[in-house]
Amino acid sequence: MSNAIEVQNLTKYYGDLLAVDHVDFAVEEGEVFGFLGPNGAGKTTTQRMLTTLLEPTEGRIVIDGHDLAHDPVPIKRRMGLVPEESNVYTELTAWENLMFTARLYLVEPSERARRARELLETFGLWEKRDVKVENFSKGMRRRLSIAMAIIHRPTLLFLDEPTPGLDAQSTHAIRDLIRDLNAEGTTIFLTTHQIEEANQLCDRVAIINHGQIAAINTPERLKAAFRRVQSVEVAVEPDGQAHGESLETLPGVTHSVKMGDKWRLYTERPSALLPQVVDYARRHDLEVVSLCTLGPSLEDVFLEITGQEIGAVRHETGEPEGRKRGARGKGGGQR
Amino acid sequence: MRDRIVRRVMDEVSQAWTVAVKDIKVYYLKPGMIMFGLMMPFFMFFSFSVKREMAAAQGVARLLALTTFFTAASTGPFIIPLERRLGTYDRLLAAPMSLLSLLLGKIAVGAFFAIAVSVVALIAGVALFGARVVSPGFLLAGVILSSFSFSTLGLIFGSIPTRNPGDVQMPSTLLRWGLLFISGVFVPLAEMGVVARALAYLSPLTYAQDLMNHAVLNAGLLNPWLDLAVLAVGGVLFLVPSILMHRRSRRLGY
Repeated sequence: MSNAIEVQNLTKYYGDLLAVDHVDFAVEEGEVFGFLGPNGAGKTTTQRMLTTLLEPTEGRIVIDGHDLAHDPVPIKRRMGLVPEESNVYTELTAWENLMFTARLYLVEPSERARRARELLETFGLWEKRDVKVENFSKGMRRRLSIAMAIIHRPTLLFLDEPTPGLDAQSTHAIRDLIRDLNAEGTTIFLTTHQIEEANQLCDRVAIINHGQIAAINTPERLKAAFRRVQSVEVAVEPDGQAHGESLETLPGVTHSVKMGDKWRLYTERPSALLPQVVDYARRHDLEVVSLCTLGPSLEDVFLEITGQEIGAVRHETGEPEGRKRGARGKGGGQR
Repeated sequence: MRDRIVRRVMDEVSQAWTVAVKDIKVYYLKPGMIMFGLMMPFFMFFSFSVKREMAAAQGVARLLALTTFFTAASTGPFIIPLERRLGTYDRLLAAPMSLLSLLLGKIAVGAFFAIAVSVVALIAGVALFGARVVSPGFLLAGVILSSFSFSTLGLIFGSIPTRNPGDVQMPSTLLRWGLLFISGVFVPLAEMGVVARALAYLSPLTYAQDLMNHAVLNAGLLNPWLDLAVLAVGGVLFLVPSILMHRRSRRLGY
């Protein structure tokens, strides 16, 4: 299978700040490729370089075999972009927004209206086609933004944080749509910090941290590489909240994290820990409300790789975390 | 090969037109456009013309120069920073069209606005004050060329890498006022001293005013073909800094 995207030595400095640090990766045609990282890790910067909105300081981007540095116009016709903010024209109606984009992407005149109607119906916006977008909810704007990005049937679609801030129904609808587009052959480049979203949607994920690719693999293989973050999750009654410290002292537990009314006990050997938890409950006259073993989640892997403590509250400031020019660290990481 | 180039040029023209039509729909009735593009030239005209004895034709010539200048140059500094802030400019930059086509679309928005306002000003001048057009050809060419040239001038400020329209309004207003006061709009070129006239020649508005004087008063000082040539060459030259600043924006991430 050929590559939809090939990135070689991609680097971006903002002044002295190194935002993307000599990155290499490839995205195969027809896959959903997740690009994960904490805020300020270089995700959006990378995506903006891939979509020609930002000029790389160094490196090469090849899309569908075409070097993006040389006349990107023909290749841009095959690309769709859904940015983090729904950048629709609020003064125009949904219909006008779609027709504008269709004209801009040179969709054949005979095809425009048919395609716009098809998309508005798919996204549940047909009844609102003549309503100005300023009256739309955030979810409706998001759906329209995606419709605008695919009206010209791109073979490569970039989505930047497509679901944060949306209600569950809209989130579900957009994830279904991403699956459907991919099933029709569209390659998806999904930038997100929502790990579960990447877990559900992506064939492969790349984790970027401090501007470097820390890992690239399928979600399941990444999880398999982090067996040490397996866990046993237990809820006991009565007074289950009071037993966290005691449960953490059980042999084999590396640390524990309170998860609502449950305790998650991290261990390398969950099968050995299970009987000890049951025995602990019996000795303290506790009822075990629930007890299960968990493999490492993609979130655990992400937190391990990005160096954040599992279960710790993450303070996301949005501040860039790049490093200074000339402070290049070890490249690569686990691939 | 030739067919491919022709096709590409046609596509680019069509895309530039699409951008212009969209901007006309979205921005012409925005308060900022009405204030800076529509009301400002009339304010300027009345501020400097009330209580001064002036023939109707002279007033029309001055008003036409002011409307093409202020109206055309107001759109770039207003629309592009606003679009950058809203993220909609990314939609245009990511579209499969060249930067030049995008900028030409933006220039057309300001130029059409200025032409429309000038037509209204001309009709008012002819209908209400009995002004006459001596040279319709120069008038038409002057209004069109001035509008495009001044819109390109405004685009320079719209191209400054910023997402805040306020950052752009101050320098663009300062430049426009500076060019206005050194030009031959309020003090005719013939009445200027040597230094003042040398300065006036630096302002493109001087040539627009001289052309309007030819068209309406039959009394321009310079050769009207020189006026047209300066406006045309100026329009092309004004495009260069806009392109360079857009390239810089792409490096900086705006």
